[in-house]
Amino acid sequence: MGNALRRVAFSGFVLFVVSLLLFFLTRAIPVSPARIVLGADATEEQVAVFDRDLGLDRPVLVQYAGWIGGILRGELGNSYITNRPLGAQIAQSFPITLELVCLAFAFALIVAIPLGVLSALNAGRAVDHAARLFAVIGVSIPGFWLGLLLIVQLAVPTGLFPPGGYVPLSRGLGAHLNSLMLPAFTLGIHYVAVLSRLTRSSMLDALSQDYIRTARAMGLPAPLVWLYAFKNAAAPVVGVAAMSFGYCFGWALIIEQVFNIAGLSRALLTGIRERDYPLIQLITLIITAIFIAANLAADLLNRALNPRLGAATQ
Amino acid sequence: MTNQHAVSRRRALRATAGLASFATPWLLPEVALGAGGTLTVGLPNNVATLDPINQSNHDSMAVTQVVFENLVEVDVNGEVKPMLAAGLPRVSADGLAWTFDLRDDVKFHNGQSLTAEDVKYSFDFVLDPNNKALRRPVWEPIKQVVVESPTRVRFEMNHPYAPWLRYMTKYMGIFPKGSREQHGADHFRNAPTGVGTGPGIFVQSRANDFVEFRRNPNYWRRNVPAWEKLVFRVVPEDSVRVAYLMANEAQVISAPPPRDFTRLRRLAGLQGDTKVALGSRCFIATNNLKPPFDDVKFRRAMSRAIDRQKVAELFYGLLDPSALPTPAKAWWFNKQASDSVDFDLDAAKKLLAESKYPNGASFDMIIPAEPYLLDVKDAALVVQAQLAKLNIKVNLQVLEATQVIREVINGNQTAAMVVFMSPPDPIFTIRSSFYPGQAVFKGSNYKNDELIALIDKSYAATTREQLKPIMDRIQTILADDCPNVNLGTAHAANLWRSTVKGFEVNTGLTMRVRDVIPG
Repeated sequence: MGNALRRVAFSGFVLFVVSLLLFFLTRAIPVSPARIVLGADATEEQVAVFDRDLGLDRPVLVQYAGWIGGILRGELGNSYITNRPLGAQIAQSFPITLELVCLAFAFALIVAIPLGVLSALNAGRAVDHAARLFAVIGVSIPGFWLGLLLIVQLAVPTGLFPPGGYVPLSRGLGAHLNSLMLPAFTLGIHYVAVLSRLTRSSMLDALSQDYIRTARAMGLPAPLVWLYAFKNAAAPVVGVAAMSFGYCFGWALIIEQVFNIAGLSRALLTGIRERDYPLIQLITLIITAIFIAANLAADLLNRALNPRLGAATQ
Repeated sequence: MTNQHAVSRRRALRATAGLASFATPWLLPEVALGAGGTLTVGLPNNVATLDPINQSNHDSMAVTQVVFENLVEVDVNGEVKPMLAAGLPRVSADGLAWTFDLRDDVKFHNGQSLTAEDVKYSFDFVLDPNNKALRRPVWEPIKQVVVESPTRVRFEMNHPYAPWLRYMTKYMGIFPKGSREQHGADHFRNAPTGVGTGPGIFVQSRANDFVEFRRNPNYWRRNVPAWEKLVFRVVPEDSVRVAYLMANEAQVISAPPPRDFTRLRRLAGLQGDTKVALGSRCFIATNNLKPPFDDVKFRRAMSRAIDRQKVAELFYGLLDPSALPTPAKAWWFNKQASDSVDFDLDAAKKLLAESKYPNGASFDMIIPAEPYLLDVKDAALVVQAQLAKLNIKVNLQVLEATQVIREVINGNQTAAMVVFMSPPDPIFTIRSSFYPGQAVFKGSNYKNDELIALIDKSYAATTREQLKPIMDRIQTILADDCPNVNLGTAHAANLWRSTVKGFEVNTGLTMRVRDVIPG
């Protein structure tokens, strides 16, 4: 318990350091947001007024204190570009990204684990070779290319899927899920490959252990033997899967852009282009927090599944 | 106990509100795409503001012009036409007083009739420095706005300022008297309901996603618009924007990829067209204070060494070559002056030999990483290769677009290849580059008293006949001194579905969707 608390506290510290780095890096961007908001032909005087109004002329440490203080108080601030509350913008875009990532991740888990197990149980056979080939292709294909390929070769000619965009649930569950099908597939396929390979190797390792040989020698039915093997093979898979969930948010950055989905990542890219500092900082902080949480979850899950790990560090 | 209960209920309400806001995206109202009576337009850029007095992006302008209108408009062919005014203004002999008679059948979206008081209020608001209107400098020559009657308004100028009518479409809009105080800045920026007179009434928008309008049933133009619903959808990726068009998820798109434009416009079911964007200018912003551009013969040699036809070929017809900061297809173009600095390698070699740098020179040229109107990276490589024939070495440096613009505005660059866009007016871009104190003056640091006097004089010219000789002389000076090396004028280009009727490419670049009939 104490160890888990230490891990949580350390995660909080990491988040604080990231917030500090993030803030200073954002301020190191050479062009003021004023130039984006006011346009190329704005006068220096107009730029100076803009910077003064937003407090961008204050020392960076003072700006950081104001920003982090606001975050801790739950005041997320307003966009420099639209002056809209960032809380509302995040509330609009985050659930879209979350849903996309969850769907992609669910797809990855549902396909990858049975595929990995099947591959391990049929090691060296045609099924195994096909699964490994699929995994190599899945890892190798760039997501943005696959996305464009699916849009141009599947969505446009067949009309089965929209070429992009997010259809809200209010237009019906079918249309809603249909709009997320290709993006979720594109995002998830990489993790199908990663997790199926890991499941396969982990399963093969477990199947070669003495206790499995003993179980087989005792005449246990094959499905039960596989279940015992899988229980032990699952620990590394769960750890990597938890971290993959965090990574998914990073990859969603590209997939949302390709599929024209106005989620968190799209908001981040627009924020970067428009030098919307508060938006960039907030979204990056959220993604960092998710990643840290995913790491923490992986760590805690690993300890729960493998108590020897916890004992070793105590 | 009771108190504890109350607190927990508050918490429950807060939690419910939180969950509700979290669920908002899933429950958003339907935005039908391509349905009957709905026109969907694909734009590459986010719509940063809907306030007409703070426009800096042409995609935002296209959207804003659905809501806000002006006394006059520049039509898709670059001609000034009456809009909220019943006719073109009467101008006093000294060019200092401009009188407009207003239409009497115009209503704002809140049902209120348009009057001269609204016009005065709108301009007074923009001219008040406290309101920090981005485009105030454009309107500063206006001394005061006088209401002569409910349907007549007079503008008094500090000095003659003929081109101002051409700036209204992009940089101004008329809103009801008192509306700024009533609604506040955010209303105009994000959700301008009830404050415009245009064909579309704002319905909803989502940042980075879409802006939706419905037809204004009381619009003063008869039988316009033909659409019931208008949706501007932000689609940043070129290929995805094209996919939207091909899948009929959008019926019109802007900024089609130049490489694919010719092929796409020939596809069954699609149409496309281009029109020279009269206010655009693709050029090398040379800093005349820095060597080797401190020598006029070197600048001229460089200009004559560039084969602009070859450069234009890179853009598949989306760049019209011109050696002057004027479009070759414009009525004010001076071909003779342009020819005197256009491609002629022998003349270039001779000029270089007579310059301060007879053995050639080396300089840094910055270019933007992200394209604006045109992607100039390939053009920079071609220019680099062409100048190498004169032993002029160009060191290319790719910077972020906004950084390139900043360097040019501050005059830090030695040379920068850029594309600028301004209203379709003969003088705007020349003034901004070569008139002291203007936005891009430091990027050239070129000062010529005769040119300044001619620019001032051009403001008093209200007809083509008056303006043409002035423009001829201006272009002769710019050809002789070659303060920048010009490459040409960009084209506005659009693709649309064949079922769409009434769409015309706008020479002013911003898409005009008012008269479009969706298929």
